[in-house]
Amino acid sequence: MAEPLLAIRDLKTYFISREAEVRAVDGIDIDVAQGQVVCIVGESGCGKSMTSLSIVRLVPRPHGKIVAGEVIFNGTDLLKLSESQMADIRGNEISMIFQEPMTALNPVMQIGRQISEVLVRHRGMTKKQALEKAVEMLRFVGVPRANEIVYEYPHQLSGGLRQRVMIAMAMVCNPKLLIADEPTTALDVTIQAQVLELMKKMREETGTSIILITHDLGVVADMADHVVVMYAGQVVESVDADTIFENPMHPYTRALMDSIPSIDEEKDVLYSIPGTVPSAAHFPKGCRFAERCPLAVESCFEEMPELRELAPGHLVRCDRV
Amino acid sequence: MLSYIARRIVQAIPALLGVSVVSFILLHIVPGNPVRLMLGQHYTAARAAALSNQLGLNKPLVVQYLIWLVHMCEGNLGFSYSYNLPVTTAILHALPNTLALVLIASLLAQFIAIILGTIQAYFENSPFDHIVTILNYFFYSMPSFWLAILMVIFFSIDLHWFPSGGVINPQDPNPGFFDWLHHLVLPAVTLTLITLAGWSRYMRSSVRDNLLLDYIRTARAKGLRESQVLFRHVLRASLIPQITLFGLSFPSLFAGALFLEQIFNYPGMGILYWNAISNLDYPIILGVTMFLGTLTIVGNLIADILYSIIDPRISLGSGDSM
Repeated sequence: MAEPLLAIRDLKTYFISREAEVRAVDGIDIDVAQGQVVCIVGESGCGKSMTSLSIVRLVPRPHGKIVAGEVIFNGTDLLKLSESQMADIRGNEISMIFQEPMTALNPVMQIGRQISEVLVRHRGMTKKQALEKAVEMLRFVGVPRANEIVYEYPHQLSGGLRQRVMIAMAMVCNPKLLIADEPTTALDVTIQAQVLELMKKMREETGTSIILITHDLGVVADMADHVVVMYAGQVVESVDADTIFENPMHPYTRALMDSIPSIDEEKDVLYSIPGTVPSAAHFPKGCRFAERCPLAVESCFEEMPELRELAPGHLVRCDRV
Repeated sequence: MLSYIARRIVQAIPALLGVSVVSFILLHIVPGNPVRLMLGQHYTAARAAALSNQLGLNKPLVVQYLIWLVHMCEGNLGFSYSYNLPVTTAILHALPNTLALVLIASLLAQFIAIILGTIQAYFENSPFDHIVTILNYFFYSMPSFWLAILMVIFFSIDLHWFPSGGVINPQDPNPGFFDWLHHLVLPAVTLTLITLAGWSRYMRSSVRDNLLLDYIRTARAKGLRESQVLFRHVLRASLIPQITLFGLSFPSLFAGALFLEQIFNYPGMGILYWNAISNLDYPIILGVTMFLGTLTIVGNLIADILYSIIDPRISLGSGDSM
């Protein structure tokens, strides 16, 4: 395989305070190829959002800290760049879309200005040129009345339109990588489908790679080329999208698949994984899933399994499969 | 917008009527008799009766109030007992001095508070933040008259940098603007320090809250420089509470100036009010009270209008957006 666009190597992001050290991201490796859609899947608190914020170095201050690892983007390690070099990349070569489009947009700034300031910052356009480009971009992402909406404020738009504005804002500089952190979670189901469609269209027309963070396996099935399953700050399984649905190997991934209700089956009670995720401040020394795992034996509680390549391109962190 | 302002002004009328009734009653509950004070050692029962009659003080209270009210509606606030001037003239003489003091102090305080509060919030828990916090509490808890006295002792008596009171140098035949400014420094700085202390606390917490919001993360994710994030995104939203504070505190600044004017012997509304109270000069007391009442209402109205300008989510009047 050619050099990936983004290679995350042994990334560790901890929250360090006087009381505790919370290992939110604990040594993960992820590759994203040019034009690829990689989905990061996992339940809340597994570290998927912190992974995405670590890539652009926007981990919440002052407690959050990237303590180790490399994030190699286009041949350079982002973690070694100066703050201003990093700012040149954000919104330009790597951009982000967030979950809650209401709070992610500035409530007291006109939509057009919020989009155009990216262009003024990274492309050196004049405000007027940038505003014209913003209108064009809004039309492209399917916002009606784009030339009026640039003068409106976020509270005047619906949730779906706001997320389109976010996408327009993220894509306006033609980034090489788009990180979307649960972009559809806050939206109605019909709007979700439209937004995902739009992201697919963006990928096709611009060749942008996408990291899509979600806990919705339906979204994964719809969008992903490659899937990374995270559990308790670690990657537990990493494989292409077809295989993950046909032949999931890690007991956690299998349990996730089992918890999707199927339309063909008659079920009174939906399946759920017993137990809860261990606290990131006190991880057990063995496998972090062992306590909830149907396959666990004594050794699982003693020793942390390594991520092994069980089939070509199929990585699994489990010694029992 | 205009209909909103008109509605607010109409709403202000009952509020002002209430203020006038309450202050009128309070004035007459307070023990003491202005006639007695005015006559002093020339007091005789006959003279007192004649003066009472002349001032209308022998009429029933309700009648006195109604007469005063009718005159006020005609723009006539009465005639001062002690200054021998119409009340409006006395107020117009005193107002520019106080207005200059209060405006300069509040603008200066607001400006510094915005800068200090923002830096403090941005560098939260840094030594700078802690030092400014301590200073804030120091000035916040200090009574204005005490600080004023310290200022006079230090800057005026010890260092001779600034005059200790008045507005012009009586020995200078042609005082001019800079002489006036020179006299204004100590009272203005004192009032600024005291006001600033509270305001910068508000600003600090407002910026601190805003820095944690999602759209600030978005602004950073767009690659904006920190200065752009701070000035363009954080500051604008953080200023909204400051505006309310500004509108609301304008009357209390006038009240705060009352003590300072007394200490610095600064001929403004504060001294006018102070002297009127010691002389039981009813027309002046009522006139100044009504003026402060009006100021409170106007201050609120201005804050609301500014609010709607800076925050697009708020629209005045009904249904001109959404």
